[in-house]
This record gives sequence, C-alpha cells and structure tokens, in this order.
Amino acid sequence: MSQIPVFLWLILLPLLASPVIYLLGRLFRKPGLARLPYLAAVLVLAISLVPFVLAARALGAGETLHYELGSISLHMDGLGLLLAAVALGLGGLVALYSGPYLSKEDGQEKFYAMLVLMVSMIVGLGCATDLFNLWIWFEAMAVTSYLLVAFYRTQAASLEAGFKYLVQSAAGSVLVVVGIAIIFGATGTLDLAGIRAAAPAPILIAAGALFVVGFGVKSALVPMHTWLPDAHSQAPSGISAMLSGVVIEAGLVALLRSLGALFAVSASWPALLIGFGALNMLLGNLMALQQKQVKRLLAFSSVAHMGYMLLGLGIAFYSGQIAGAQGSMFHLFNHGLMKGLAFLSAGTLLYTLYIARSHHGPLMIDDLAGAATRYPLAALTFSMAVLALGGLPPLAGFMSKWQIFVAGFQTHNIWLETMVIFGALNSVLSLVYYAPLVNAMYRLEPSARVREGGRAPWVMSIPLVILGLAIVVLGVWPSLMNWLTEPAARSLLAVLAGQ
Amino acid sequence: MTLSPLLIIMIGVIGLLGAGFYGLLVSRNLIKIVVALQVLVKAALVGLIAAGNYNGQINLAQSLALTVIIADTIVAVMGIALGVQIRRHMGTLDVRELSKLKG
Repeated sequence: MSQIPVFLWLILLPLLASPVIYLLGRLFRKPGLARLPYLAAVLVLAISLVPFVLAARALGAGETLHYELGSISLHMDGLGLLLAAVALGLGGLVALYSGPYLSKEDGQEKFYAMLVLMVSMIVGLGCATDLFNLWIWFEAMAVTSYLLVAFYRTQAASLEAGFKYLVQSAAGSVLVVVGIAIIFGATGTLDLAGIRAAAPAPILIAAGALFVVGFGVKSALVPMHTWLPDAHSQAPSGISAMLSGVVIEAGLVALLRSLGALFAVSASWPALLIGFGALNMLLGNLMALQQKQVKRLLAFSSVAHMGYMLLGLGIAFYSGQIAGAQGSMFHLFNHGLMKGLAFLSAGTLLYTLYIARSHHGPLMIDDLAGAATRYPLAALTFSMAVLALGGLPPLAGFMSKWQIFVAGFQTHNIWLETMVIFGALNSVLSLVYYAPLVNAMYRLEPSARVREGGRAPWVMSIPLVILGLAIVVLGVWPSLMNWLTEPAARSLLAVLAGQ
Repeated sequence: MTLSPLLIIMIGVIGLLGAGFYGLLVSRNLIKIVVALQVLVKAALVGLIAAGNYNGQINLAQSLALTVIIADTIVAVMGIALGVQIRRHMGTLDVRELSKLKG
C-alpha cells in the first residue's frame, strides 16, 4: 500500500469523494448550502484531471501503469486511458451543467454522488485485467446508472424507463456470469492474458456468445437495444449525455476486452461485429426517422453510431490493421463529444421550455421551431452537434467516419467494401432526420412555447461552448487526438496479436 | 450414455436459466419479475460453483459466487425500490399499466 501509482487516484478520488458528497448534501440542509454537493462534485472531477494528465504523460513516455493488491491487478493501457478521458471529460462537464438543470429537484446529493461514482467505475472498468474484475466494475457502473436514469422518481415514464433498463441490464449481466463460469471451468483461470494463452476449446465459443449478448445489452447491439431509447429520453439530460457518450461505450470496451481474450477460439468474431454493426446502423437510422421527440431521436442515433464503431472494430479484427481500430477509437471519443453536446443542447432547450416551469413534458421536434431567435447559442451548438453526427465536414464526426471507411477500403475485401458503402449510405440517410432539426430551429417562425420560454442559465452554456469548440477543432485537426487514439488502438490490437 | 454429475449440473443450470427467462417474459407483476431475475442469478451461481468444482478451485469459485450474490442483492433491492416508487405514484404493480414508452 506504500506506493499508490498515480493512475489509481483516477479511480480512488471519485470513489472516495462519492460518499462525502452524499453526506455533504444530507448534513448541510440550509438553503445557502444546498449547492454544496454540486460544487464538490465539479471540484472532484476537475481535480481528477491532474492524475489523468500525469497518467497520460507516463503512458506516453512508455511506462507501464500497473497496480496489484493481492490477486487483483489493475493495468491502465491505451484503451483504458481513452475511456478514462471520455468519462472524466464528459462527466465533469455534465456535473457542471447539471447544477442549474436540477436546481429545483429533490435529492440532488444522490445525483452527484452517483455521477461521480459512475465516472470512477468506468475508469476502473478500463483498467480491469481479469474477467471477473471486469464484470464487477461493469455491474457497479450499471447499478449507478439505474439510479440516475430513474432520478425523477415521481414521474411514471422515468420509473418505467428505469425498471425496463434494470431488468434488461441485469438479465444481460447474469449471462455474462454464466459465460465467466464456462471460461473458468474450461481454462481454470480468469486472467484475460491467461485465457488467451489457454488452449482454444469449442465450449469457449459459447462463452463468447454469452458475452456478446450480455455486454451487448449495455452497448445496445440491436436486438438488445430496446432499453436505450426509453432510458435516454427519460433520464435528466446530463445523464442522457453520460449514458450515450460513455456508458454504452464502456459496454463496448468490456465486450472488446472479453472477446479479445477469446479471439483465437473462433474466426467469426469480425463477421459477428460487422453484422451487429450493420443491424445497428440500419435499425438505428430507420427508427430515428420516425421519432417526434428530440431526445428519443438522439437515442436512436446512438444505436446507429454504435454501428459505425462496430464496423471499424470488425475491420480491425479482420485485417489486424491499426487504421480501423484507430478510426473506431476516434469515433468513440468523438461520439462522446457530439452526442454529449447534442443532449446537453437539447437539454438546455428542454430546461427553458419545460423544466424551468415545473413541467416534465418531452421536448418535441415541433417545439424547436424558431428556437434560434431566442436561444442562439443552444440552437447553434445543437445544430453543430447533429450535423457532426450526420458526418458533415469540417466537423469531428466526419473525420472519424472517414477514418473507418478508409480503413475498410484498405482491406481490399469486397465484403468489407460493401459494408463500408452501406455505412456511408446510412450516414447520408441519417442527415434526413438531422437536417429537419436544424431547419426547424433556423427557418421556421418561433412557436408559442419558444416565445414564452425563459432565459437559459449562463452556467449551462459553458459545457456547450467547450464541446462545440472541441468538435470544430477536431474536425479541422483530427491528428490532435492521435496521442489518445493510437495507443488505444494499439493496445486493442496487441491483444489480438498476442494470441 | 451415462449422466455424469457435471452433465446433470449443466442441465440444471440451463433449466434454471430457462425458468428465469420464462418468468421474465410471462410475469406481469413487478415483484415477480424481480424474483425471475433472482432465479436467473441462481443459475449463474450454480454454474460458477460447478466450474470451480470441475477444475479444482472450489475456494476461488465460492468467493466469486459470494461476490455475485452481493452484487445481485443490490440489483434486486434497487428493482424492488423502483417497484415501491411505481406502486406509490401509479397505484399498480402491473407492467401492462406502465407502457407509456413505445417506438
């Protein structure tokens, strides 16, 4: 215990702060101190950037970040660092944003305690080196997110979404445990590297299939995605951003880690990933086309974007080239930024039009009409976010999709090229539902609801501006993120090459 | 073909999983759905213990199983807590009554 490596503080700091934040909220209930949990959460997540920067430097200098406590070991590699970056960055901005957003709600201290805890669990998930450990972090992250989804505990729709999410996610994680039991029985070890080294046995394919289904629930692979639109649309907007930008990606990372260990068992994993990718893209986009609620539309767009990431990963798994993996990792990062910005901007409009007047209605697309006249900043950032999601240059979403598609063509495999063209067509299709949002905000006359809307608190604008700038900057200089995405892709492919 | 103990346990695990999923699908009561989830977890626990027994690491398997029980209890508590809130605000535990979210 004498030597706690610096990356461990990334997990410990939010983990230890979480109960403190809750107690701060419970013990100091005077009106003047009501904001204490909020300020503490923002402070903790801001301070956590220090160990993050130190860990990133150490990793960049070629050090291995490793910690062992008894038989439990944590190891931060490029993939873990990428996940930590998204969780910490988006988590901090969401905490900052939620202060005014939730100012009228009860039980805020629970919200901040859980949010900070969730960030810690996601960072831990990225560092897990053994299968059971991975499951523990995954389950802990899921538990924190159940509470956050059902945060509006007097709203029927929110409770329904929370329960649906809990049941599906818990059933999925049981299947993961069954998969772990199979692997444990067949190989006698749970260490990811040990499983990789063990002789491939046919029964391990069953374990892999259980992982795909179990972790697939959380990462919204298509037949298991049905919780996602409900949970994303009913959660507080900050949590929608976290769920969509980080939690489903964390599920994907867990899936990749576990499948990476089983990579030698079957040659069909790339085809499986690409198959799910195609389903996700198609169904996500088609369902998004029918939506009338803004947050539900964005939720289905997350399903589609998971498809692009799976496509890139499938290409990388198939060809062993770094380009596909790096494109996917870049898209994972960008999706966090873009979807985070989209949910937070939509949340700003939802707040000013509904929540500030103590009304918990959904934000409909019709409500957006003429929003740019009264809310120029939120309308601008929302337009940027959806256009980036649709893949228009020079925004970040274009660059990462481009990297994935180029990687697909570099394989010179006719099937992969077909899939890439399918993905590109899907990307164009997605503009069909993104463009009307922009059109409604800028071209239509303000609706009655927009004309009566209150002012947006200035604190909520800070995350919007930061994320908006990041999207433009990364769209123009995509290489800025290479320090993060390349090690992530390398550590992913190192797993495959190590077989 | 004789039934080895391992095979019997595996059939049991699959049976429990089947029963759990059947319960999840047909139950209309929120509490029963949580119970069905519990049945599913029991299948996973039996599987873990059987795996440990099979490869001679029963101690490790038991500690894993204990951890799973803890995690699963938390989930069950939260499921029932949500059920309590649903009963309080909507006056029913029937899932057919709460299907506002579709599409």
